[in-house]
Amino acid sequence: MDIGLPETEQEIEITPLEEPVPTPTPVEEPREEPVPA
Amino acid sequence: MSEFSIEPILGWRLWHVRLHGNEYRLESFTWHHVSWPPRRRFEATCTIHRYTAPAGDHECGIYAFKTRALAEDLLRRYTGIRHCYGRENRELPPVRHGRPIALGSVSLWGRILVREKGFRAQYAYPYELHVIGGDDRIARELRDRYAVDVSRV
Repeated sequence: MDIGLPETEQEIEITPLEEPVPTPTPVEEPREEPVPA
Repeated sequence: MSEFSIEPILGWRLWHVRLHGNEYRLESFTWHHVSWPPRRRFEATCTIHRYTAPAGDHECGIYAFKTRALAEDLLRRYTGIRHCYGRENRELPPVRHGRPIALGSVSLWGRILVREKGFRAQYAYPYELHVIGGDDRIARELRDRYAVDVSRV
């Protein structure tokens, strides 16, 4: 990929508060069906 | 001296979409068989600088363009379709059958080296994908696997 000339490079440091990586969706525990007495 | 920020940069890039075993994965556009891990950051490595990539005096790191137009231009160069009857071709070119490509935005963070057209980054994860030359099943698989928005072009 041609991203330009190396001589123009500037360095930046990015430390996000939270990494932009999706976390797995928590699995909902199935609720027990109410059983008629 | 480097600048500091807490907001990831969004760049644009291309990926090959290839089968790894029986699942479709994003693969580096320029390094064959380098697969992007789902639900985990992709980390730059280098045979010389190892985990200190991207290094200032080298070409290592995760590449991305600053704009979608630059990524689309690379796609046109890759497919050999750049102009249509002398005019700028604004449509995305068709890709080879069975060789889907993903065009998309990518979050970049960690140490980043910025040039006039793009970036070399330490860490990356896809942000949004547009699949070219793939069917609904491939788009759905990528959406589930990487947990990002995926559309078909």
